[in-house]
Amino acid sequence: MATHRRTSARLVASVIAAGLASTALAACGTSDENGGAQEAPVSAEGVDDGTELTLWTRAPLEQQANLLVEAYNASHENQVELTVVPNDDYVAKVGAAAGSDGLPDLFAADIVYVPNWVQQGLFADVTDAVGELEHADQINQGHLEGGTLDGRQHVLPFVLDVSVMFYNKDLYERAGLDPEQGPTTLAEFADQAKAVDELGGNVNGTYFGGNCGGCLVFTWFPQIWAGDEDVMNAEGTESLLAGDTAQEVYGVWRDLVESDAVGEGSKEETGATWTGPFLEGEVGVMPFPATMLATADEALGEVGVAPIPGPDGGASTFVGGDGIGISKDSENADQAWNFMSWLMSEEAQVEVLAKNGDVVSRADLAENEYSSKDPRVLAVNEVAAQGRTPLAINFQQAFNAPGSPWVTMVRNEVFGEGGTVETDNEEITAVLGQ
Amino acid sequence: MPAKLSARPPARSTRPAIVAVARRRALHGWAYAAPTAVLVVGLFLLPVLLVGQMSLSDWPLLSGNQGINAPANYQDALGHRYFWDSVVFTVKYTVIATVLLIGLGLGLALLVQESSRWSAVLRTSILVPSALGLASASLLFYALYSPQVGPLSPLLQRLGLADGPVTFLGTPDSALWSTVFLVVWRFAGFYMLLLMVGLQGIPHEVIEAARMDGANRRQTFVSITLPLLRPSLALCTVLCVTGSLLAFDQFYILTKGGPDNSTLTVVQLIYNVAFQGQNDLGVAAALSIVVLVVLVVVNVAQMRAMRTSQED
Amino acid sequence: MTTTAPPKTSPAPQLRRQPRAPRARLAGIALRTPYWVLTGALALVFVFPLVWAGVASVAPQPGSSQVDGWGFGNYVTLMEYQAGLPQYLLNSTLVSGMTVLFTLTASVLGGYAFSRFRFPGRDVLFLLTLAILMVPYATLLIPLYVMLNAVGLQNTLVGLSLVLTVFQLPFATFMMRISFDAVPRELDEAALVDGCSSFRALRTVLLPAVKPGVITVGLFAFLAAWNDFVAPLILISDSDKIPLPLAVANLRAQVMGIVDYGATEAGVVVMALPCVVLFLLLQRHYVRGFMSGALKG
Repeated sequence: MATHRRTSARLVASVIAAGLASTALAACGTSDENGGAQEAPVSAEGVDDGTELTLWTRAPLEQQANLLVEAYNASHENQVELTVVPNDDYVAKVGAAAGSDGLPDLFAADIVYVPNWVQQGLFADVTDAVGELEHADQINQGHLEGGTLDGRQHVLPFVLDVSVMFYNKDLYERAGLDPEQGPTTLAEFADQAKAVDELGGNVNGTYFGGNCGGCLVFTWFPQIWAGDEDVMNAEGTESLLAGDTAQEVYGVWRDLVESDAVGEGSKEETGATWTGPFLEGEVGVMPFPATMLATADEALGEVGVAPIPGPDGGASTFVGGDGIGISKDSENADQAWNFMSWLMSEEAQVEVLAKNGDVVSRADLAENEYSSKDPRVLAVNEVAAQGRTPLAINFQQAFNAPGSPWVTMVRNEVFGEGGTVETDNEEITAVLGQ
Repeated sequence: MPAKLSARPPARSTRPAIVAVARRRALHGWAYAAPTAVLVVGLFLLPVLLVGQMSLSDWPLLSGNQGINAPANYQDALGHRYFWDSVVFTVKYTVIATVLLIGLGLGLALLVQESSRWSAVLRTSILVPSALGLASASLLFYALYSPQVGPLSPLLQRLGLADGPVTFLGTPDSALWSTVFLVVWRFAGFYMLLLMVGLQGIPHEVIEAARMDGANRRQTFVSITLPLLRPSLALCTVLCVTGSLLAFDQFYILTKGGPDNSTLTVVQLIYNVAFQGQNDLGVAAALSIVVLVVLVVVNVAQMRAMRTSQED
Repeated sequence: MTTTAPPKTSPAPQLRRQPRAPRARLAGIALRTPYWVLTGALALVFVFPLVWAGVASVAPQPGSSQVDGWGFGNYVTLMEYQAGLPQYLLNSTLVSGMTVLFTLTASVLGGYAFSRFRFPGRDVLFLLTLAILMVPYATLLIPLYVMLNAVGLQNTLVGLSLVLTVFQLPFATFMMRISFDAVPRELDEAALVDGCSSFRALRTVLLPAVKPGVITVGLFAFLAAWNDFVAPLILISDSDKIPLPLAVANLRAQVMGIVDYGATEAGVVVMALPCVVLFLLLQRHYVRGFMSGALKG
């Protein structure tokens, strides 16, 4: 009993200390009175003095994280040690560590969770240091906003992922479609999907994660945005997903399901394998993560890329991926900042990320040596700059969690009876507003 | 570590001496039980007390203890929109799993109790799955059931048992039965073994005597074997009910509670509340305490039932 | 069901263990064919998933490391993944070894105490130990993390082993207690009268007698520790300290929206193989462990 009382006392003490420290430091910049923890870094470069830094990320970003860490370690005194955590258990892992002051120096988080985690005080304040960065105004706004609370910044983009339409050129050709022309409206998308579906055999028109809230926000929100409607109010406390455009979008997908142009397993797809069928060449066209361009090319030859359209045209994208910040528990904030600041450099953005076919986080680097070789990559980078990142404190619970009200709504509208869109929407609002 | 007992006075039965010996024995008992006690107190009792404290406090996962808020967590827990669904599902799953596992375990035990070589082979093959962890077994079945690489659906189609691709985890019922199949596969051997041990504890003479009296096989089984097997059956039931009420790994890996939250068990709900969305340790702890209390009550009831039936 | 069926006067025909004339044997084989078919199919059902995992892990498969032809591509991936398979195997071996050691130490001594000594708090402690079975594992993890932190064992394999040991204690203690109960008291009392210390009596007289129980408990602890995924997930943070199941879980979902089934199957095989081998080696003792206890009806 005594031990755990002491622990919780310590916990409380450190929370208080964290609060004190951040207010004190905002005023005077440096102070070592609190043992160095929570010290906000202020210089643009940070410190590179051979410190061992720890970094956590979730498994789906492992490839990018590995490349970044390798490049950093090769060119710096500081050494970053990467720990990869299974995607579905990342929150549990971070939560356990956060409660016992055991967070690593740096950790990445799905950008839609960032507002919540910032509010809970998991990230150190890096506002002043961000201000020192040369290209601060070029950094992806959606990610920066996600990490901003009361005007203070906490997070930089780690790896960006945007959603775009991918289509299988080979299947398009076989179905008599123009392999150089992707869909420009949702109606065209549906027509093309159905045309490919006619090929029969293993081939299906399209595919989606019908039981995966995260996949659905990533791929369907842009269709609503492209129709100039919003999915939530600006505060992220009210759901607008019963709007006209939203309902049109559900209608398109319901029609695809009813005409059986959707691949087997869409209905129960929990997200674990939602990109698999396309990569195996069994799907004609679907909204897809742009980070997988290289993988898809490798598997299928050149794939077609188009922005995600709305019901009547337009284009938008979901700027997802992970943000990264310095943890509240880090005692090496200046050294950790050195990594973050390097992350925003041309070296990291172009020579590591762009070279790997990933989207860059700085608008001024959208056109670079690697993207200019491939007009599709350029298009992706450009669409990323005009995409959106939906922000809400309770985003995970309302949308991403298994069995979230958003998943319920989509399933009712697309697979079920339908007609409950208003009440389902209220349920989402109720969760968002908690 | 214990002091030598060799100086024990040989049966000089004065009272204080007996008391001294008893006290020393008790001390030794404690010494031997000490490692268990340390582990149980340090890594079970204290954590459970901490769970208790969490259940009475506002305790978000990411920011820790925010002070007492009792009994809000319990109200939230019982009022959670999936609470009753998950209770109903858990009970349903428990009943199915327990009936199947014990029924099958008993059937298998009867089947393999002969001491022939074939029986030994059979016994081994039924027991082998129990060498796998539940998580590994679930991963294995995740692949086995997958629409992409799973061999079962094509097999069933080729055998003419299904006309189209079979989705094992797609509908509420198929997901439940697919998971039950996994659990039966993994645990049938274990229960078979427990019941086999029970069967072998029944003296041969009793059964022979019944046969001599002209009872047929079924009569012998119903009126002799089953009653004598009761303690073993009771032990199996206790283990199986407790295990199934706490089912987590298999559903977490195979179904994630889906489709449409139809296979959400109570422990999964706890996990979801704690780590996937709500991130509220307080409510999760309150749910855990409720589960703990229910399990204690259920187990005490089962033990009582077992004891009274033994006295009959 | 048919409670009052008239007792048959002629004894039921017995198929088992009767010397038969050749004709009768032929008839017996004919009669037993359904039995063989049925039990053969049953054995197949239980063995098939394991065999399939082995075959599929070396079979060609799109989206895995073994795309063209048969081969060990998936194992190569596993071998080279992050810290490398040998490191994960070593971690798992250390964790399992320590868990077995801790479990046996606690449960043999504890079982001895519960079976042979009367001391205040005995029943409470025993019931408390059994109650470990009744708590949802998932919720205890955060408090356990807190406890390990408090004693400085966070992020260590020793701490992880201690936690895994605790979850083995209900079964292990119960098993050891009934194993000791099944040994006649005269045995150790004689030793005590001969002037043995109680520890010596345990070591030289009782321990050999409860050996099957010890093996059963040890094997159980090994299997549980080798396969556990949730505890290391929360309790271990260094990527070169994680045990095998966690590494396989990471490897499985490396790319968004794809499960690398090939690597999963190879991982399952690598995780299962030592368990199955150990199990087959110790099977006889393992079964005897259950028999020797007072589990008997």
